[in-house]
Amino acid sequence: MDQTDRPMVAGTPQGRYKMACTCGADSVSEEVVALTNTLRELAAIRSTAEDAATRILDSAEGLLAMAGKNEAEKAEEAILSIMTACGFHDIVGQRVTKITETLDQVIAASHGEVAAKARKPNASNSVSAKSEPGVVLEGPALPGASKDRAQDQAGVDALFSDKR
Amino acid sequence: MAFDPGMPVLVVDDYKTMVRIIRNLLKQLGFADVDEANDGNAALGMMREKDYGLVISDWNMEPMTGFELLREIRADNHLSRTPFIMVTAESKTDNVVTAKKAGVNNYIVKPFNAATLKSKIDAVFSAAA
Repeated sequence: MDQTDRPMVAGTPQGRYKMACTCGADSVSEEVVALTNTLRELAAIRSTAEDAATRILDSAEGLLAMAGKNEAEKAEEAILSIMTACGFHDIVGQRVTKITETLDQVIAASHGEVAAKARKPNASNSVSAKSEPGVVLEGPALPGASKDRAQDQAGVDALFSDKR
Repeated sequence: MAFDPGMPVLVVDDYKTMVRIIRNLLKQLGFADVDEANDGNAALGMMREKDYGLVISDWNMEPMTGFELLREIRADNHLSRTPFIMVTAESKTDNVVTAKKAGVNNYIVKPFNAATLKSKIDAVFSAAA
C-alpha cells in the first residue's frame, strides 16, 4: 500500500467496496471480497471505539460537573455508563478476530495454499470454526446490515415476545 | 424461581473485561454472590457443584460455547430450570431464534447498558413468578 492509498483505506473503505462491486460479480475474486469485508470491519472497529470513547468522556465530564454535589444517584448512573462503555473491548476483540481469520485465509490463498478452510461455506464471515451444527456465528454485525443479519435489542425483544 | 438478590449468579464469558462489567452491574443491582467462568465447560462443572439461581452467558467461547452450555443445562434434570440469559454480539435472527428454541430465557445484544441488563433480569423472574 502506498501513501496515496492510506486516507481512502482509513477513512472511506466503502469507496473501495463500491469499486469492487461495480466491476461485476463475475470479475470480483474471493480475495477482493474478503479484503473489502476486512476494510469494512476496520471501519466498524473505528466507529465502535469512537462511540465508546464518547460515552466514557460524556460520563467522566458528568462526574466532574457533579463534584462537590450530593447527587449520589446521578453519580452511580454515570459510573455504570462508564463501566458498560468499556465493553467495547469485547466487540473490538471479536472484530479483530474476524479480520485476523480473513487475512489468514487470503494469505494462505496467495501462497497457493488454498486450504479447505478457505473454501468452507461462510468461512469468510464466521468468527471461528466453533459453531454448532446449523448455527453460524458471525460475531458483531456490520453497521447497515439487513435485519435478518443484525437484530438490535428491540428486534430481539420482538422475537422473544412472539409466542410462535 | 422467584427473584432473590441473595441467589448465586454465574457469569460466563471469555472476555475478562465483560465479566468485570457484568459483575459490577450485578453488584449494583444487589447481587452479592457472583461467580465467574470463562467457558461452558467450566460453567457446567461449577453448576454441578453449586446451585445457581441465574446464569448470564456469552455465546462465542471455546471450547464449549454458551449455546452448548444452554443445551447441556436444559438436558440435565437437576439444572434444567435454571434461568439463562444470553449476552452476546451474535444478533442474526436465525441465531436468536435458535437460542430461544433451545430454551434461553432472555437475550441481550452487546453492546448493552445497565438498564437493559436490569430489565431482562426483571423480565426473567417476572415470567417465572
